[in-house]
Amino acid sequence: MDRARIVHENFLRRTAAEDFPSGAAPHPGVSPTMAVEIFRAACLSRALDLTSRDMQKAGQGFYTIGSSGHEGMAAVARALRPDDIAFLHYRDAAFQIARADQVPGQTMTWDMLLSFACSSEDPISGGRHKVLGSRDLMIPPQTSTIASHLPKAVGAAYSLGLAKRRPPEHRLLPDDGIAMCSFGDASANHSTAQGAFNTAGWTSVQSTPLPLLFVCEDNGIGISTKTPQGWIAASVKHRPGVRYFSADGLDIYDTFAVAQAAADYVRTRRKPAFLHLRMVRLYGHAGADVATSYLPKSEVEADEANDPLLHAVRLMRDAGALDPVAARDIYTSTCTRVESVAATAVTRPHLSSAQDVMASILPPKRACAPTNGPDAQARAQVFGNDLKALSAAQPMARLINWALTDLMLTYPGTVLMGEDVGRKGGVYGVTQKLQQRFGADRVIDSLLDEQSILGLAIGMAHNGFIPIPEIQFLAYLHNAEDQLRGEAATLPFFSNGQFTNPMVLRIAGLGYQKGFGGHFHNDNSLAVLRDIPGIIIACPSSGADAVRMLREAVRLAREEQRVVVFVEPIALYPMRDLHEAGDGLWMSAYPGENDVIRSDEAGVHGTGTDLAILTYGNGHYLSRQAQPILEAGGIATRVIDMRWLAPVPEAAILAAVSGCDHVLVVDECRRTGGQGDALMTLLGNGGKDSRALLAAQDSFIATGPAYAATMPSRDSIIAAARQLVRGDSQ
Amino acid sequence: MTRRAVFICPGRGTYNKPELGYLHRHHSHQMSLISEFDAMRSASGLPTLSALDGAASFDPALFSSGSNASGLIFSCGYLDAQVVSDDIEVVAVTGNSMGWYTALSVAGALTPQNGFRVADTMGQLMQKHLIGGQLVYPFVDDDWVMDNDRKSGLLDLMHRIGQRSGHELSLSIDLGGMLVMAGNEAGLAAFSAAVPARGVFPLRLQNHAAFHSHLQAPVAAEGAAILRDISWDRWDVPMVDGAGKIWWPEEGDRDALRDYTLGDQVTRTYDFTCAIQTVAREFAPDVFIVAGPGTTLGGAVAQSLVAAKWHGMTCRQDFLEVQNTKGGLLMAMGRSDQRDFVSDGP
Repeated sequence: MDRARIVHENFLRRTAAEDFPSGAAPHPGVSPTMAVEIFRAACLSRALDLTSRDMQKAGQGFYTIGSSGHEGMAAVARALRPDDIAFLHYRDAAFQIARADQVPGQTMTWDMLLSFACSSEDPISGGRHKVLGSRDLMIPPQTSTIASHLPKAVGAAYSLGLAKRRPPEHRLLPDDGIAMCSFGDASANHSTAQGAFNTAGWTSVQSTPLPLLFVCEDNGIGISTKTPQGWIAASVKHRPGVRYFSADGLDIYDTFAVAQAAADYVRTRRKPAFLHLRMVRLYGHAGADVATSYLPKSEVEADEANDPLLHAVRLMRDAGALDPVAARDIYTSTCTRVESVAATAVTRPHLSSAQDVMASILPPKRACAPTNGPDAQARAQVFGNDLKALSAAQPMARLINWALTDLMLTYPGTVLMGEDVGRKGGVYGVTQKLQQRFGADRVIDSLLDEQSILGLAIGMAHNGFIPIPEIQFLAYLHNAEDQLRGEAATLPFFSNGQFTNPMVLRIAGLGYQKGFGGHFHNDNSLAVLRDIPGIIIACPSSGADAVRMLREAVRLAREEQRVVVFVEPIALYPMRDLHEAGDGLWMSAYPGENDVIRSDEAGVHGTGTDLAILTYGNGHYLSRQAQPILEAGGIATRVIDMRWLAPVPEAAILAAVSGCDHVLVVDECRRTGGQGDALMTLLGNGGKDSRALLAAQDSFIATGPAYAATMPSRDSIIAAARQLVRGDSQ
Repeated sequence: MTRRAVFICPGRGTYNKPELGYLHRHHSHQMSLISEFDAMRSASGLPTLSALDGAASFDPALFSSGSNASGLIFSCGYLDAQVVSDDIEVVAVTGNSMGWYTALSVAGALTPQNGFRVADTMGQLMQKHLIGGQLVYPFVDDDWVMDNDRKSGLLDLMHRIGQRSGHELSLSIDLGGMLVMAGNEAGLAAFSAAVPARGVFPLRLQNHAAFHSHLQAPVAAEGAAILRDISWDRWDVPMVDGAGKIWWPEEGDRDALRDYTLGDQVTRTYDFTCAIQTVAREFAPDVFIVAGPGTTLGGAVAQSLVAAKWHGMTCRQDFLEVQNTKGGLLMAMGRSDQRDFVSDGP
């Protein structure tokens, strides 16, 4: 007999015999009605686990990671409010069910069975994944098993305080709400979890409001690896800024009382707390996992003997809330009811085509209040002396700064966050004066943790803000990449567009910085971003383009709820000249307020038809240097700046190269995983037979004189162009 | 094999000319209980149910009055529940509007006498005050294909009218493919003038007050005072209310049930559509039984199920096919051709 069936039979036998595990007496504070409601939610969670396994055996269900043993989370749900945003552990079905009890009209039995069945009618994911989640219950969908939802819980908590002072247009969460996130003891070891605990404490000790309840469901094991005895308590009990609470998660009375105390602390003090719950994991990690293959049977049986449902029946009996016979009836009738509902749920349709699956990769557009931009007086006040300089030619860094100023003036929901963006104004000065102009709560100097920066942005976007986070250097993105790939990009997908986290992520990056930094400050790989479905990647190469593209990026985030990555070429931040010192040709005046470059527009410079150089970023700058030299050599050249790296503006590119005899792709990123392969394929499919690729070597970037040795240069572009046009086509 | 059923109790407007004599036809064996109800009404100086039900002719004004209709409809529904076939297990009970009072007694939360007293009292109070009125307007065509845009448009219109000075208008009942609006004369007239006529719709409901709206706050307060001594019992069967909340038997918070019944239930929108969708999704019954009197609520039940794509239904034709292939998904005890499938009584 499998362990699930053994636990089931144990429950029936032991409740009939009133043979209950021993434990504390019921803690006061739980009414009989609430106790039974919590127990009923726990029974439904258990029955769903059992049914999910039957569905899988019948080929009708596709997910068996259960919540059995963690049913005490129903009591945590009752200690919170249904509008407290909750980022849940995947073992928290009981939490979601108990929260649904507080919102009339919810149908959790049906909804969860649809999600086991991966039906397209599953109300949260539309059949894309088995996730816990509900828009009505303010539970964003969660698939993470690695605590990657904790950084955004910190962000959501931060948003509550800021929204109270500066309510954003699309605000979702109430003033007195709190955020909650839950996770297992094993995933508490993950860097995302540790980073979130650290960020919460770091924020709290500085007296910034951060009403966040961490809930650790400690069942003592992660799949087959045990958590050392006392590990969680020892590692979090004395963290600065985070108050520690602990309860017996097997005891719904104790759990409710302590969870309520912790929630009250978080709600009234606006500070983070850590609720540590002792749990057991019943019948293994998932359906296919046999715990007795790596644990002594006696340990498995000891956990089973501590079934929280048995504890609940004992406690309700002792509290006079419900007699064991009635409790057993609730359990059995719930099992029967779930089986009946499942029989209908499994008949519901599934997704079938790629189009169906992909329908929610892009979030829905949303209505936004019209704006005419800031009035002249406000603008004059904020810009100060800079106002006089707007009409003069300026380098990119200064123009981006002004664009950010105008955007923050126009859209009060925009918020910047990143390392050194505030007081210092950015390591390259791009965000100078913004903190003075807009305040420290809209231009946030973050701690040095990219996961936390992105988590802050994601969480704030959940509450209607338009975050503009900054990653100081492209190479620093990599330790935090999953926040984009696994979290931000997937949110509309797994919620069928019901939850969104629009943002414009600014990243200073790419190569060609003279004499500074080597690889870590000059990373030239965007591969980590390019394949993420739904993400837009912008890469301006001049100041004017940067302004106009940044306006479009913010519009895409605000109106279309998109996640936009805005890669700013560091080497071009201060660039003034193009061909010779003092020519000032790489500077521009600040573009007029309505001047915008849409995400399907490429830039074309020149009208030559012998050769088109297709490039972006620094490659554009270098190609423009090469252009007059090639022209002088008899090769009529046009240079095309693709501007948007994903999605590739294919129609604009094909139109731009139309009529050209040869196309040279210049890609400053590494040959492997760069833009080149995709562009060469596009050109090939577009009938451009004479084409060549000049890309960076598959190398890291060196410090010192060889800083540019591995990447295209003006001269290598000229050489490659001459070779191509002379007839050495592919 | 036991059939699992949801029992649905109808609301006002279901006892009409064809229903005259319903109690006598179907429940003559229950005359002792009806006599108890009669005695209660006689004590209040009201015509008895026996007399009303046994009248030689149907007087619309008399029968549509809340002080008469509520008691009649309660009695028919409650007594129908007593004759449901033995092979049927009622897994949940719900109702529409005043059918909620019937549901309370069917589930056991109120004795039949107390349930009758609640229904009859609230009906009398509604009639006595007759604050505002109701109208009905559909947002689906005859094919029952849900047109949510049309529904949203009508609700937007309703909100806009309700915000005008001197106008009261709100959603009284979400009723399958129909919207029942509650409001004052100005609000109802403005809505009627603003929407295109569709057959008999917009249809003003005679002798109906602005049920399930804040306009009924005085009625709710008076009802709660009059009925404060009513004894509320533990119930045996889950009940689904007009907000879609399930009242499970074992939890049994009788104070909360009383507060809802005599409070929010009277003054807030009654979402019958949600109630039906909740019983479907949480209980997946084999059959939905609509108690008598009348047959009109069946349409709203079916439309609510279509709106939820229950059994894949998306239109009226789908419903008819499911009805045929599943041996009767929906059975109305007010229809003689369906009553025998779910009732052991006459």
